Amino acid sequence: MSLVLRLFRELRFLLRQRAVAGLLVLAMLLSALSVTTGLAEIAHQRMTLERMILADKADRDGALAKAEDWGSAAYSSFHLTYLPPSDLAFAAMGQRDASPWKHRIHMLALEGQIHAADTANPELALAGRIDFAFIVSVLAPLLVILLLHDLRAGERAAGRHDLLIATAGQSGRLWPIRASALIATLAVCLLLPFWVGAALAGTQLAKVLAVSLLVCIHLLFWAAVSYWAGARAAAGSVILTGLIGFWLLLTAILPAITRVSIERAISIPAGGDIVLTQREAVNDAWDLPKNVTMEAFGARHPEWENYTQVSRPFEWKWYYAFQQVGDQTAEALSTTYREGIRERDQAAALAAFSSPPALVDRALQGLAGTDTRAALAYDASVRDFHTRLRTWYYPKLFRDEPFEPAALSALPVYQPRDERD
Amino acid sequence: MREFALSADRLSVKRGGLLALRDVSFDVRAGEVFALLGGNGAGKSTTLLSFLGLLKPEAGEARVLGRPAHEDVTASRRQIAYLPEAATLYPHLSAEENIAYFLSLAGLRRDKTAISAALERVALQPAARTQRMERYSKGMRQKVAIALALLREAPILLLDEPTSGLDPIAIDDFNALIEDLARSGSTVLMVTHDVYGACQVASRIGLLRAGELVGVFDAPVGGRIDTDAVHAAFAGRTAA
Amino acid sequence: MRKVLLVAADEWRFWRRSRLAMLALGLLLLLVAASATLTALRMSSEAQARSQLQTDAEETYRSQPDRHPHRMVHYGHYVFRTPPPLAMIDPGVDPVTGQSIFLEGHRQNAAMFADAKAGATAGQMADMSPAAVLSLFAPLLLIAMGYSVMTREREAGTLGPLLAQGLSPLTLVAGKWLALASVAGLTLLPLMLTAAAAISKGESISATAVFAGSYGLYLLVWCTLVVAVSSLATRRAGALTILVVVWILLALIIPRFAANVAASAAPAQGKIEADFEVLSELRSMGDGHNAADPAFEQLKTNLLLQYGVASIEDLPVNFRGVVAQTAEADLTAVLNRFAEERMATEIHQVSLLRSFGWISPTLALREASMTSAGTGVEAHHKFLRDAEAVRFDFVQGLNRVHAEQLAYADDINRSSDPEAERRTRVSSENWKALEDFDFVPPPSGARVEGALTPLGKLGAWFALLFGLVLLSARGLKP
Repeated sequence: MSLVLRLFRELRFLLRQRAVAGLLVLAMLLSALSVTTGLAEIAHQRMTLERMILADKADRDGALAKAEDWGSAAYSSFHLTYLPPSDLAFAAMGQRDASPWKHRIHMLALEGQIHAADTANPELALAGRIDFAFIVSVLAPLLVILLLHDLRAGERAAGRHDLLIATAGQSGRLWPIRASALIATLAVCLLLPFWVGAALAGTQLAKVLAVSLLVCIHLLFWAAVSYWAGARAAAGSVILTGLIGFWLLLTAILPAITRVSIERAISIPAGGDIVLTQREAVNDAWDLPKNVTMEAFGARHPEWENYTQVSRPFEWKWYYAFQQVGDQTAEALSTTYREGIRERDQAAALAAFSSPPALVDRALQGLAGTDTRAALAYDASVRDFHTRLRTWYYPKLFRDEPFEPAALSALPVYQPRDERD
Repeated sequence: MREFALSADRLSVKRGGLLALRDVSFDVRAGEVFALLGGNGAGKSTTLLSFLGLLKPEAGEARVLGRPAHEDVTASRRQIAYLPEAATLYPHLSAEENIAYFLSLAGLRRDKTAISAALERVALQPAARTQRMERYSKGMRQKVAIALALLREAPILLLDEPTSGLDPIAIDDFNALIEDLARSGSTVLMVTHDVYGACQVASRIGLLRAGELVGVFDAPVGGRIDTDAVHAAFAGRTAA
Repeated sequence: MRKVLLVAADEWRFWRRSRLAMLALGLLLLLVAASATLTALRMSSEAQARSQLQTDAEETYRSQPDRHPHRMVHYGHYVFRTPPPLAMIDPGVDPVTGQSIFLEGHRQNAAMFADAKAGATAGQMADMSPAAVLSLFAPLLLIAMGYSVMTREREAGTLGPLLAQGLSPLTLVAGKWLALASVAGLTLLPLMLTAAAAISKGESISATAVFAGSYGLYLLVWCTLVVAVSSLATRRAGALTILVVVWILLALIIPRFAANVAASAAPAQGKIEADFEVLSELRSMGDGHNAADPAFEQLKTNLLLQYGVASIEDLPVNFRGVVAQTAEADLTAVLNRFAEERMATEIHQVSLLRSFGWISPTLALREASMTSAGTGVEAHHKFLRDAEAVRFDFVQGLNRVHAEQLAYADDINRSSDPEAERRTRVSSENWKALEDFDFVPPPSGARVEGALTPLGKLGAWFALLFGLVLLSARGLKP
């Protein structure tokens, strides 16, 4: 009999067992639940973004219409920056819950704006969410364990083991086929809702394939472990206890240890210090002689060195110069802060090799563009955009160009990274 | 040299670190009914599992049709139908479904009439055949397992306590069945602790005690083995 | 009773002889102890660090040089949320909310820099506070040690003889339950020690008792569940599989599912989006920096009338300061309305989330634990309100100085006249009026009261399962 036929025979047979069928249905239901809520959340985020893009434009147009000079235009007009959810974000929310993915910034010191969190309900954030990544990384191993642990022990306890082997001819014709049938069905049960979700979300085929491969590899890892453990001549319940202990170790204990050690080994400056430093610098500037500020500014922007004379008590170019100097003062801290986060993330990427569930979770976040790297890239894109704003306004402010409201239509527009690619 | 269906050649087998069989030798001829008799832990089931290649000998060999059982387990198991002790099949399947599943495990296909005929032969009530086996009595389960062994149409049958749990009428039916099989050329090796049952069907009886074969009884031509002698040997009153 | 103890002692003998049971027990005790120690150290050093930062922020503010008071309004001030003593066991929302808020005039800032944002991402289960270990993993231990308490006797065929000895089924089940409850008690030891430490740090005894009690009750719920399943199941493997599936559903799935439901059933606007509305409402009001804003015409007329003078120059108070005061009060009223709406939405979401505590004891425990410890969303809201009170007080204090200590003429001429500018700088003595801030969670009475509902949920679970155990004991057959 061909392998495929044997696989189907075992499948038909296994599905008639209530416990097996129940677990597979549970897997499919949970996966469907995660995909549905993920899609709903993404739809909500996209709708929010659509509304905000319109509101942002209206608000900016209104503010610009009232502007009397370049300085007040820059002061009163805010620009929405955002990281739209990718076509795979529904499957792995990742850092979108913890790190901000939208800001409204204007041309004041950026350090005072970019750290603002668009706070979500903390108690909901703490509870976590059922996303596909959770199902695959945390739950799927438990399902594999439950399905495979008493593959042999169950038959042994029921007194069928020897008859089965004697009838099948050799154990290689039975256990691997049963295990494969179970794992393949589990994979389908988990992936089917994901495929439907991906079709609805218009996910790139390459990403869908990568996720599917990832899921299969993860299932195979746990299947191998469970198969190996299940071959011991111990009672099924003992094997199950041991396997769940192993799951606990890989899924919770090791990741917790690596997380604590990484956060201890790589310290980052307190975020509050960045904002404090920047604010002190900006506030002090009001009391400092203006040329001190303008010199510090000129050091960074030699092209405007010849335009830094300030004669009146208040001039916009001085105002924006000390905003920039405020950022410059906090630059070292801010860079260390971001570098620290990057280093922690790199260390965590390495450490994740000790925990397949963490590795899978991180990989899914990576594919979905919801990982720390994506959050940092978004942060960088906001900084780029802020620089573009400054580059756009500086010539007008420093050369004291006459105010032309019509020119404001050429203001830089934020392009999210995804769409630029 | 004449080929034996089954032969144990100075067979020693370890189970759980202890020697369960020690230097056991006997042969079973084709078409013969050989009964291994012994108390609990005498090594009866161990002998059967050795012929099935499920246990590896520590020393010596268990041969099936002249070839060591563990050498090519698939080939030797194909020659054997095995009836385990207290045979439990899958409780969530009916008798027919169980049989069909196990046959397909062995790579065999039998049509419905063949299966019905086999169940008829073991006298399982027709009404029960399509019911889930979780409702079966021990005797009914045993009958289905025997039917399965018959349907394998293997030249050799290994039976582990085949009559335990059967009522006296079913035992008579079973004995008749075994004689029938032997007449049509099947080789039967059965293990039991039932002296009288063994004497009724076996042409030869081997007596196992604490892992050693302590004696073999032959039936006189056309007659039966002397039950009293076997009983006395079994109880340890005389050495055979 | 003696027989109950005998049965329990016998169960312990079985565990002592089972390598797996001892290994599991040892591992979990180690885990609880390690996480209790680490979390206690981390949270108490956090508490110390934050109150130090608070003192530093206050000193920095008070030591600012003489200045125009409005400059100090923009200079701003920081408040820090120091964790309460029981955060050593349950840090609650601490890692997902920022711990400090920058306070300044005309704005309500959100708490910034949550730990979760800057942390290393290591999978979805890497939280190992004692609260997480006890609520998620202690039940697994109870399952691993207890699934076989009754099924084992049944499978080994010892149940019949035991009952035939005249041992009543109830005594047998009670003994098994007691043995398992003693395991639960053992895992609670590290929690008891830390709770005692919390009391010595000033936590109220009643709140601590409710806090620890909720963990006790929670673990008893699991003990009862395990014994119930074990006496109802026919086979050991079946009992364990059922219990593991139940654990997955109650501890892992339902709490997260509840969060999904709460978020989508009562969607909350993000702060940035809500700010569009705030901004448009604020734009319709006067700009407090601009005393000439037509919005303040009425104020001007009233003041002139009140003091019986003809022009704002003749007022005994600085009109600009009065405008700043009025504008700040109006603006704060709007901001507070939005903030309260936002908090009401969050409370609504959280109450949806918590209502799932009726079907998941893990969720009920989390509610009881965070509420009684003062680390839940209510305590965070109190922090936001306290911080806002501090902000409003210090800004209005400065605006009062602005109105009362500055001459209007100097104030309007300060950008052109350096002498006038010098006179608008008020003494730094005024900055000393800033009050000390020390965040305290809601009073213990309120916390205990808040924890009663989730305790009721746990109680209901316990009563239900206890009834099930009694029922299964009555129908116990070998």
